[in-house]
Amino acid sequence: MRWVVGMMAGPVLWAVLFAAVYALHGIGCAWGWTGVAAPFGSLHIVAMAGVWLAGLVLHVGILAAAPKGPAREARLHRMGAWIGLVASGLTLLPVLLTSTCG
Amino acid sequence: MSDAKRSDVTPQANPPQRALTLHRELTAVWSDLPGWRGVLASVNHTTIGLRFMATAGVFFAIGGVLSMLIRAQLATPRGAFLDTALYNQIFTMHGSIMMFLFAIPMLEGLALWLLPKILGARDMAFPRLSALGYWCYLFGGTIILLSLLAGVAPDGGWFMYTPLSDKTYTPGINADVWLLGITFVEISAVAAAVEITVTILRCRSAHMPLSRMPLMGWYMLGTSVMMLVGFPPLILGSILLEMERAFGWPFFDVARGGDPLLWQHLFWLFGHPEVYIIFLPAAGALSTIIPVMSRTTILGYGAVVAAVLGLVFLSFGLWVHHMFTVGIPHMALAFFSAASALVAVPTAVQVFAWIGTIWKGRPQLKLPMLYVLGFFLTFVMGGLTGVMLAIVPFNWQAHDTAFVTAHLHYVLIGGFVFPLMAALTYWMPLICGRARVPKLGEAAFWLILIGFHGTFFIMHLTGLLGMPRRIDIYPDNPEWVLPNLVSSIFSMVLAMGFALFVFDMVMQWFFGALSRRNPWQAPTLDWAMALPAPAYNFASLPAPGRDDAAAAVPLARGEGILPGAPRGWRETLVVEPGSGRPDHIAVLPDNTILPLATAAVIGSFFMLMLAGIYWLTPVAIMAIVLVVWRWGMVMGTGQDHAPVHAAPGLPLPLHWQVRGTLAYGGAVATLVADGSLYACLLFGVGFLSVVAPGWPAPESGLTGVWPAVLVAVALGAMAVGSVTARLAEAGRGGDLARQRALLGVAAGVLALVALAGLALLLDDPRRHARDALRGVLLGFAVVHGVIAALLALRTYADARDGRMGPSRRGATPVWRLWQDFALATTAVSALLVAGQELF
Repeated sequence: MRWVVGMMAGPVLWAVLFAAVYALHGIGCAWGWTGVAAPFGSLHIVAMAGVWLAGLVLHVGILAAAPKGPAREARLHRMGAWIGLVASGLTLLPVLLTSTCG
Repeated sequence: MSDAKRSDVTPQANPPQRALTLHRELTAVWSDLPGWRGVLASVNHTTIGLRFMATAGVFFAIGGVLSMLIRAQLATPRGAFLDTALYNQIFTMHGSIMMFLFAIPMLEGLALWLLPKILGARDMAFPRLSALGYWCYLFGGTIILLSLLAGVAPDGGWFMYTPLSDKTYTPGINADVWLLGITFVEISAVAAAVEITVTILRCRSAHMPLSRMPLMGWYMLGTSVMMLVGFPPLILGSILLEMERAFGWPFFDVARGGDPLLWQHLFWLFGHPEVYIIFLPAAGALSTIIPVMSRTTILGYGAVVAAVLGLVFLSFGLWVHHMFTVGIPHMALAFFSAASALVAVPTAVQVFAWIGTIWKGRPQLKLPMLYVLGFFLTFVMGGLTGVMLAIVPFNWQAHDTAFVTAHLHYVLIGGFVFPLMAALTYWMPLICGRARVPKLGEAAFWLILIGFHGTFFIMHLTGLLGMPRRIDIYPDNPEWVLPNLVSSIFSMVLAMGFALFVFDMVMQWFFGALSRRNPWQAPTLDWAMALPAPAYNFASLPAPGRDDAAAAVPLARGEGILPGAPRGWRETLVVEPGSGRPDHIAVLPDNTILPLATAAVIGSFFMLMLAGIYWLTPVAIMAIVLVVWRWGMVMGTGQDHAPVHAAPGLPLPLHWQVRGTLAYGGAVATLVADGSLYACLLFGVGFLSVVAPGWPAPESGLTGVWPAVLVAVALGAMAVGSVTARLAEAGRGGDLARQRALLGVAAGVLALVALAGLALLLDDPRRHARDALRGVLLGFAVVHGVIAALLALRTYADARDGRMGPSRRGATPVWRLWQDFALATTAVSALLVAGQELF
């Protein structure tokens, strides 16, 4: 069953990141974080981007830890890791691209 | 050699026996009772699965007739066929019936009927739960349907948006019918999800690893996990809205700290995954049928599994795309827009895998394949308009227009109904044992295909011309007249096609020639049995070397695992989830009316709520507890049993003497759903606290030392319960276990007393949404505390009556699991409220 857990690790991390960044977005807008200065931008952007980038590092770690080889279980494990990485990379990319609370 | 190591060895063949003798022995054990008793007491998966599908078919016909009424009304701009009030009821009922009473139950029925057959088992993991699910579905659906006849059907649209559905704007019982009826039906869906999950993970043939199981298993596993996580948000939303309507707790009332958007979030947290919940089983059928019809194997098994994984997760990141026009900030829109576009990738992977499979094989244009081609044409178009709607600026233009109606019908009919018809025509010989009548099915297919595209393709244009959904007349818009008329005319063609399809099925069932075995020459285990499928599926269970359709004769002669029913019990093999290594033998329950009785008392609770007789509902709840207690009474055994020799060199224990039983797996799956509901409740607290107007809340009355003392007592008592559950399991039987269970009961009662005291200190929940949410959090803790105390009592009864022993644990593993969950969620709730008070 370890490979099943490994296969799900990436998508689970995506789900956690997606929920966390979405929550930070709501909280930051409600509590006025956009007006609080921080290194590299407002506290709001920095908080969301920090969580996102930390998550991406974890995703890369999951991918690196996935077993190599042609066995179907190993391939499924790697595919799960890639799904998580790509999903987190694309769906949370707007953190860097769009306005926050407008 | 230990039993565990022994089961790692590939089992040897049992000696062949006379197939007819085995058949008679198994039929006597597994068959339904004769006559009416069989109707009421059957728990067999084949019977229940077919009942689900037949009942869903009836609801589909009713929903279809309602759609004809809608199209008749819209055929002309000043249609006087229906008045506005009735029209509202009809389009609401059409959507609700098709989603909740047709699509979901139909997929449940297909799963219940097919999974044991294709995975090599004799039944589902929890046969009584199958039956309970069916009766809840039938009763809930009937309540909803009767409301239409009584003229009080739901009329707020199938997604019941607030404030339209609150007491002010829907003062009658129309919305209550929807909220209570659908929640009743959802019990059936969650029950099905629990047992589908456990069946796939534990009830496969020996040494069938997850990584080699038929793709249908993966699709159904994805579906069931999505149901476990995706249905609780709707159940929670329905409970909250019903509490607002019945008792004035203001979860969605802006003036008192609520927010209508919370309903939208909860509804679409269910509603969008729901689309994939419907699509995945259909895709599983396609992945099974296409290789057979193409005389080859599926292309890219691993990629398809990964695509299922991607869909299961990504589908939970899309729900806000139904809310793009409610005023959500750009960045949040962009998150969900990106996820909505990304989900097209795993869908496309599957479509390309299916096309590649056809390409590499030798496709045969038999009737199921026609429906597969109809699926490709329709679903791909629906998917592409879905990508269009995922893009925010386009969505703003097309929102709530007929374009969306067209899109959703392309996705749902393309992605579910066409594959379903492929599946029905494919498995019909296994259902009824007869071959179909030539040509009728082809005529039905062409009528359906032409009728569907004639109705809905032009509806895209109607929407782009600006026609909103759900209007009953359009006298000032002559540009909508022709496309609406065209849609209405072709909808009649579509209806004729469906009628002919049903006629074809009936003709096949009653008048078709007897079918030969495995008419499609399929390789999967579902065809390794006689036609129609016998009640027990396999005279002996498949094992390596005898695990495909070609093994039909050796399995019928008892050369597989666990031949016959020598002990007179309904036995099936339980395997280790990942590897498929044989683990133990489960003895499944016999025919019983207990599921029917349970559904009836649950139904009485819902009826009392619907009638507004709230003071009597505790009686119904007590009746539910008493009936459910009976479920436990008839389980268990008073003695240890010797291992069963399932095959030469394969002794396996019976389930009473192992810890990791099917019931334990079911409890874990149930807690996944329960945890999802609790997480949604926390989301509700967070959402209203942060986003809703009308906050901060009025000053809290939770002051002084008493609230903290009562919380500490409740948590302490629950912690004692957790410890005693462990000790009772370690003690197993005898006086010690009985005493520890009794201590657990006492701890549970003490926790409930403390929680009741806390309830007296809460502010009036009608005052503000924060107070109402605290009431719900407390209610959640009380319900879980009551169940934990009952499980402790169950353990006490098991120990007292000899159902526990040195190797028999009774209910202790489930009690322990539940007690820990109750403790953890109550602690989180306490921390949350404490945080609100402090900050």
